[in-house]
Amino acid sequence: MITRLMKAMKLHWVKVLFLVLICFTACDKEKALPIFGEREVVGTDTVYHTIAPFQFVDQDSTVVTNATFKDQIYVTDFFFTSCRTICPIMKTQMLRVYQATAEMPDVKILSHTIDPEYDTVALLHDFAKRLGVTDNRWRFVTGVKDSIYKIAQTSYFATAMEDKSEPDGFIHSGAFLLIDKKQRIRGKYDGTKEEEVNKLIADIKKLRREDAL
Amino acid sequence: MRFRIFAFVLMAMAIACVPGSKGDVKFQQYYTEGEMLYQQHCANCHQVDGTGLGKLFPPLAKSDYMDNNREAVICLIRYGIKGEVLVNGVSYNQEMKGIPTLTDLEIAEIASYIYNSWGNEEEWVDVLQATKILAACKINE
Repeated sequence: MITRLMKAMKLHWVKVLFLVLICFTACDKEKALPIFGEREVVGTDTVYHTIAPFQFVDQDSTVVTNATFKDQIYVTDFFFTSCRTICPIMKTQMLRVYQATAEMPDVKILSHTIDPEYDTVALLHDFAKRLGVTDNRWRFVTGVKDSIYKIAQTSYFATAMEDKSEPDGFIHSGAFLLIDKKQRIRGKYDGTKEEEVNKLIADIKKLRREDAL
Repeated sequence: MRFRIFAFVLMAMAIACVPGSKGDVKFQQYYTEGEMLYQQHCANCHQVDGTGLGKLFPPLAKSDYMDNNREAVICLIRYGIKGEVLVNGVSYNQEMKGIPTLTDLEIAEIASYIYNSWGNEEEWVDVLQATKILAACKINE
C-alpha cells in the first residue's frame, strides 16, 4: 500500500517537474518567427530563401531595389488602384500598419501595382497622397509587368496575374508579407482581416526585438 | 367630439401610410436588404461605418454631396462616376465603376440604407421612385 502511494507521488512529482520545465522554456525565451521557403545547408551554414534582385520605380520616380531595404524590415503586398474587391480593404489595413510603425524608422512598406499599364508613377503619386502617405516609408512601385508577376510568385509566394474573366481583370492574393533585414520571409498574413493584421503588427515588434539581440 | 376622434384616427392612418414614413414595415425591409447589399458592394471602399478612406473614397456619413444630389447618387450606383467630386469641401477624384447588375429594387434598397445610416436621416427611396430616377439618368461615357 505504502509503496503504491509512493509510486503515485513519484509519478506526480515527475509531472510537476515537466510542467515547470515547459513553463521555463516558454517564458524565458520568445519563440522566434519562422523562416519561410526552401533552405540549403552549405558546409556549416544554412542558406535560406531570399528575395531575388528587383528594380522598380516608386511614386516619386525614385528607383527602388533590394538595396533600398538594406538593413530594413519591410511589409509588402500586391494591388492595383482601380480594384474594387479586396484592395481597398488591404489599403485600409496597410494604412493601420503605416500608422502603427510611424515611430519605427527601420520599418518600411512596399506596395506593388499589378496593373502597371494603368497605374503610372503620376497616378501612384496621387493615390499615395490621397491615402494620407506623407513620406517615403511607404513606397508604391510600378515596373515591367512580367517582373512584378515573377517576383510575386517566385520570391514572395504570392499570387498575381492577369485574368480577363475576373470582375476587375486580375487575380491576386490579399497577402501581406513580412521581410526581415536579411531579405527573408518571416510571416504571411491575410491583409483583408483585421485580426491577422494585428498579428502582423505584433510580429514586426517581435522581429525588431530579435534584431536588437 | 366623436367626429374629432374619428378625424384624428383618420389622419394618423394617413400619415402612417405615406411612403417615406420610417415606421413603415416596407422601409424596414428595404433598410435590412440595403444593409446587406451595401456591405457586399460598397463597404470595401466607403467602409462599413460610411466614413470613406482618406481622400481616395469619399464618406457617405454626413455628406453634403449626398444631401444635394439625391438623383445623381441613385444614378451613379448603377452607372458609376468619373472626374472630380467635392464632398464636404474636399476634392475626390477616383473613378467609381457602376454596378450594372443591380436591379431598380436593389438600388432603392441601397439608397434607403445609406440615406438613413450613420446619422443620415433622409427620406427613403421606394422602387417606383428609383425606377423613375434611373430611367432619367444622364449617362456620360
